[in-house]
Amino acid sequence: MDLLLVFAWFATTDRAMLTNAMERDNAMTRRDFLRTTTMAAAAMAMPTGLFAQGKDQLKVGLIGCGGRGTGAANDSASADPGVVIWAVGDVFPDRAEGCRKSLQDSLKDRCQVTAERTFTGFDAYKKVLASGVDVVILAAPPGFRPAHFEAAVEAGKHIFTEKPVATDGPGLRKFLAAARKSEEKKLHVVAGTQRRHDPAYRETIARLRDGAIGDVTACYAYWNQGALWMNPRQPNWTDMEWQLRNWLYFTWLSGDIIVEQHIHNIDVCNWAVGAHPTKAISLAGRQVRTDAAYGHVFDHFATEYEYENGVRMISMCRQIDGTASRVSEHIVGTKGTTNANGSIRGTNAWRYEGARPNPYQEEHVHLIQAIRGGKAINEAVQVCETTATAIMGRMAGYTGQEVTWDMVMNSETSLAPASMQMGPIAVPKVAVPGTDRVS
Amino acid sequence: MIATFIISAVYASGAVNAPETFEQKIPNSLAKFEMARIPAGEGKQDGKSVPVKSLWIGRTEVTWDVYDIWAFRRDLDQDTVNRGHFDANARPSRPYGAADRGFGHAGYPALGMTARSADLFCKWLSEKTSKKYRLPTVVEWEYAARAGTAAPPAKLGDVAWYWDNADDKTWPVGKKPANAWGLFDTLGNTAEWAKLPDGNAVVCGGSFIDKAPEVGFGARKTPAPAWQQRDPQRPKSRWWLSDGPFVGFRVVCDD
Repeated sequence: MDLLLVFAWFATTDRAMLTNAMERDNAMTRRDFLRTTTMAAAAMAMPTGLFAQGKDQLKVGLIGCGGRGTGAANDSASADPGVVIWAVGDVFPDRAEGCRKSLQDSLKDRCQVTAERTFTGFDAYKKVLASGVDVVILAAPPGFRPAHFEAAVEAGKHIFTEKPVATDGPGLRKFLAAARKSEEKKLHVVAGTQRRHDPAYRETIARLRDGAIGDVTACYAYWNQGALWMNPRQPNWTDMEWQLRNWLYFTWLSGDIIVEQHIHNIDVCNWAVGAHPTKAISLAGRQVRTDAAYGHVFDHFATEYEYENGVRMISMCRQIDGTASRVSEHIVGTKGTTNANGSIRGTNAWRYEGARPNPYQEEHVHLIQAIRGGKAINEAVQVCETTATAIMGRMAGYTGQEVTWDMVMNSETSLAPASMQMGPIAVPKVAVPGTDRVS
Repeated sequence: MIATFIISAVYASGAVNAPETFEQKIPNSLAKFEMARIPAGEGKQDGKSVPVKSLWIGRTEVTWDVYDIWAFRRDLDQDTVNRGHFDANARPSRPYGAADRGFGHAGYPALGMTARSADLFCKWLSEKTSKKYRLPTVVEWEYAARAGTAAPPAKLGDVAWYWDNADDKTWPVGKKPANAWGLFDTLGNTAEWAKLPDGNAVVCGGSFIDKAPEVGFGARKTPAPAWQQRDPQRPKSRWWLSDGPFVGFRVVCDD
């Protein structure tokens, strides 16, 4: 498990090169075969840098047409001149249509989404996957991710998946199984934990690996800020529509704030330690943001995680207006400390002074480079482990109990409504620490 | 009044005259800030002299203490906010992250707002106070920042937070000496929005991220897509500059 976390990136495997690519998939189409062959020939003839800029068209599909999904489609297009956005899908027609128009406006002829390839409804993702795309961006609310990811892997697509990738135990297991399968199929998968693609973070963690701060003894992770957006309920909305349009505030959709937002900082600590924690305790609640408009999620968590080697991570997240903000990480070692983000203090003091390209674009650059024959990349297991870490903190907060990794991964409780259709669904009750239990 | 007295005392000990000031309170809050009278005179535009009318200008950059009330709807009834019964086009969206970048909050300059946000803040402030608040013009800004001096400060670090002394962050307003007309932090800390004759805005004066040559009375930066590069959403925010932590503003009040 740890090996997978220790730098899928820096391990310079060449498993995407021609030989393996040929073995990749029995269902390889003629077009795929031609592309691979052409790229391999080009690779032999040209320096790597040119090779990475293949001009063959890559058709990208978008599942989940909110602001982030639309942004990710733009980031993908800006990452490689051969990318075209081919199809989009969303539960809601206004979202799918609005996204198509926005992409046409920003990308011009590199948006090739037609009305026929603008899909809506709960099964829109299946239609996007069947529309002839090479790559798919998964940007629907996290509760849908396991099903969407599983279907994308089944369809043999390369994947950019937003974080988090599940909200409950059954979702984690479904995603993890599909993640393993994506590795077997040698698919390329990049996750929206963009700090892993930020050169300042990467250089800092590389130095940490080389011993710049000695042995890591403690980690601190923070995402404390004010409240986020909320869409007031409209009279014509069903319960389901209201919850989907306010997905942040329902645990089955977002995982709660520790999973939806704080996952970024938790991921950096897991990255620094090179493992996932094995247990957690948490003090958490719904103290200020109590109006029914905000569903049933909490507004703060303060969690202590413990890794197998005894290292602890203190994690805090809060969404309460008028409180002190902090969004950062702090790693303590025997020879120094680091913010993981370009600054090391102590024996080997250092400051990153290189370029800071947009990591939201870099993550797509890395995915497309891999698809075009560069270094293979598959972050699926890694992002699943960090998602599970965050869910472990939530379960500890909701229950007030010490929660272990195994309790999370074996949890049988599915949070999603039984039936996926527009209509009445209940708002889950607010969790009560000391009374609720992990099941 | 007490604040004015203290400042007057400080100025009385130096060569400069005490600025004429008034204190602006935000109704139903503890927030307040000071405005200083700028005398009429001659400003510069494209190398030519242009007249500047007497005006009032903020002695400091607008702080979070004041900006929060508008930006985070803290003057609105929470039930009103939760039902959406307010003009969402007149108040910023909620940032996904720490608007203050963790630099500090109370007493620190508000930062990272678009010019549109700064304009709408002035509109709100005018309604709240029944006065006429707006952004300065670039000519007014430079005229007020120079305060009658032609030369740049002898030692920039004495009056400004910039690359060499800011530690990559903003600092509380008003910690370094004011200029001759009582204005603090015109150079450095945050660069400040001001309007060009065509109505577009630029930021003036340089900021904590700028090295000495980019900090000065004539320093200007024009808004660029790079200022929102890391905004992961489309459409990008009309309210916040994901990559513009160096942007702030001060307000002008017409008589």
